[in-house]
Amino acid sequence: MALPLKYNFRNVVVRWRATLATILGIAMVVAVYVLVQALAVGLEKSASNTGDPRNVMIVRKGSTAESSSQVSLAQLQTVRYWPQIAHDEKGAPLISADVITLISQPRIDGRGEANVSVRGLTPIGIQLRPQVKLVAGRWITPGKREVAISQKIARRFTNFHVGDSFRTAGNTLTVVGEFDGGNSAFDSEIWMDADEARSLFDRQNYSSLLVRVTSPQAAQEIITRIEGDKRLPLRAEAEVKYYGDQTATAMPIRILGNFLATAMSIGAIFAAMNTMYASVGARTREIGTLRVLGFRRRSVLGGFIIEGALLAAIGGVLGCLLALPLHGYSTGTMSFNSFSETVFEFRITPWLAAKGMIFSVVVGIIGSLLPALRASRLPVIAALKSV
Amino acid sequence: MTLSTFIFKNALRNKRRALLSVSSVAASLFLLVTLQVALRELTLPVESAGAELRVCARNKVSLTNPLPARQRSIIEKIPGVEGVTPFTWFGGQFQNEGAMTFAQFAMDAKETRHVFTDLKLTAAEQAAYESEKASAIIGKISADKYHFKVGDRFTLDSTIYPGSLEFKIAGIFTGTADDRMMMFHQEYLDESIGTPGLVGMWWIKVKTADDMPIVIKTINDAFANTAAEVRAESERNFQLGFISMLGNIKTLIASISTVVVFTLVLVTASTMSMAVRERFRELAILKALGFRRRELFVFILAESFGLAVAGAIIGIGTAYCVYTFGNISQMTHGIFVSFEVTPHIMGLAALVAALLGIVSAIAPSLAVARMSVVNGLKTLD
Repeated sequence: MALPLKYNFRNVVVRWRATLATILGIAMVVAVYVLVQALAVGLEKSASNTGDPRNVMIVRKGSTAESSSQVSLAQLQTVRYWPQIAHDEKGAPLISADVITLISQPRIDGRGEANVSVRGLTPIGIQLRPQVKLVAGRWITPGKREVAISQKIARRFTNFHVGDSFRTAGNTLTVVGEFDGGNSAFDSEIWMDADEARSLFDRQNYSSLLVRVTSPQAAQEIITRIEGDKRLPLRAEAEVKYYGDQTATAMPIRILGNFLATAMSIGAIFAAMNTMYASVGARTREIGTLRVLGFRRRSVLGGFIIEGALLAAIGGVLGCLLALPLHGYSTGTMSFNSFSETVFEFRITPWLAAKGMIFSVVVGIIGSLLPALRASRLPVIAALKSV
Repeated sequence: MTLSTFIFKNALRNKRRALLSVSSVAASLFLLVTLQVALRELTLPVESAGAELRVCARNKVSLTNPLPARQRSIIEKIPGVEGVTPFTWFGGQFQNEGAMTFAQFAMDAKETRHVFTDLKLTAAEQAAYESEKASAIIGKISADKYHFKVGDRFTLDSTIYPGSLEFKIAGIFTGTADDRMMMFHQEYLDESIGTPGLVGMWWIKVKTADDMPIVIKTINDAFANTAAEVRAESERNFQLGFISMLGNIKTLIASISTVVVFTLVLVTASTMSMAVRERFRELAILKALGFRRRELFVFILAESFGLAVAGAIIGIGTAYCVYTFGNISQMTHGIFVSFEVTPHIMGLAALVAALLGIVSAIAPSLAVARMSVVNGLKTLD
């Protein structure tokens, strides 16, 4: 017969003074684990969340970042009139030739400068990215040296809010709008007119082309057509897939998270073991009594393991709760792929919280295994006699 | 029995608990050292010999915007300038490895050693490098990683320029701050697939440290209001700028370190309370025998201090050995090249351990101090 769960639960509660430190310790470990993984999830989300399924992106073959890609005017003219490209009500092909460049600007906290991505695009380019919504001011007017900036980037740099202006490449740019990229990669960008960007930054070529296709088959046709055309040193890919593949940026954070989880859980397992050993030691007589009452060795073993798991699970819940306030908090770092500031949010998904819980329970079970084994092996008579 | 053996025996009376406590302290201190070293590596610019005489000039717009090659003759004429070399990022990928594994820069082969005085290359290798345009020199770390020998040929596909280039290794160098880099001829890039007339940035060697501020100002002024404005700065400031780009990662690591320390205090303090609670009766007997509170406090303190220090020695020692004798660039997939456990960091960790020993002794000592002898003697548990 198994020990009633109530027994274990009450034990944890009654000994709260001794177990509190262990519970808090496990809570900290779980909180750190969940938070670091939440960063990685946020970074991956911002990549996988970017793009419209109806769009196809075209970049130079072999380029790994949009900023180092080049598409010439001649190539743009070749692609522009392909029949697979959709048209707007005025009959203009839905294609946007973008220029990506990086500008170095001072951070708002006064701690140096960082690179920010500037995307030069056309009104069609804005139209092709419906997930980007204007939240303040207005969209840019070509030819007036105006920019619109992601709200999240605007918060991190000086002079990036509506009405501000800043200098780059010998010119002054005025901020006329702020947008929300809906947790996509566009949250890390400044938008301005494409041709203005080309003259300002002295670029002959564009960086990439974004086209709206008439149907999913048309998308595939464009991809194979570019693949097969030796005169076009380009590569076409569904926009969603292009950005989705950029999740590798989150790798270093994942590695950091796993390393931390491993090292901290070793410490936590030792702590849990200590607590459980002390618990077993203090209850030697009680265990003897249980055995005399007819509870089997394996019931005692199971009971103590459940107790350890329970203890850790309380820590796990507490850890997740500690981490929760940071959900949605936006932060930023340099992406080694695009070489520019990338903003993203801590994202605590239900699955991540569940992983944190599983993690804590595993720590609890491993930590209570040996003490439970000891409890189950206590000789009954000696245990009853002990003080 | 002397006082010290008494404390020692007390600490080890429950060997398992002592071992577990020491191990948990050791694991946490290992982590603390690792995080601190990582933080230092990320935030401290690499100190390389000759850095105090080097100036870096990049496009004012950002690092990734190119500079016109014609700027070179203007920079060379500035008084105090001893050497100038272009420094152009090639972004080559090796054998479809998918990610960049070592950085390659197109430079002026002759000027390189005048500017990067810390670069060590034999005279024969230098001569071979200078004489052949398609040759390259590579740092020892990368050479070892890919088993490159002098004379080997390999191709890199550029992610920046359209196409790929074949290189022949003329020499393997050591002594620079990052012995993973590869350097090759700017002319080779220009003639093959590059954009002639454009370079990535300039690295400049000045004659004396006193010349540095004037040279920096002169370069900045020389190109002000031209199509390609320049930001010249000392090598140190340039690297600090790089660190600033890392953004909130620093805060993240610093806060994790704090959490680790806090958890450590919590867990160790609880272990000490457990150890003391277990021998309440003994301590009561000692009290009855005439030992003073102060002395009992010393017993407890010495024990908890001893456990913490033992944990510190193991944790810090393991970290030191792993990071000093292990191959760190392999362990971190090339994110870190050096991972130096400095005396400062070891001292910091040791200080944390010492404070930990003291803090964890406080709560149990208070309990013992407050206990009445009679109640203590009655305790069974």
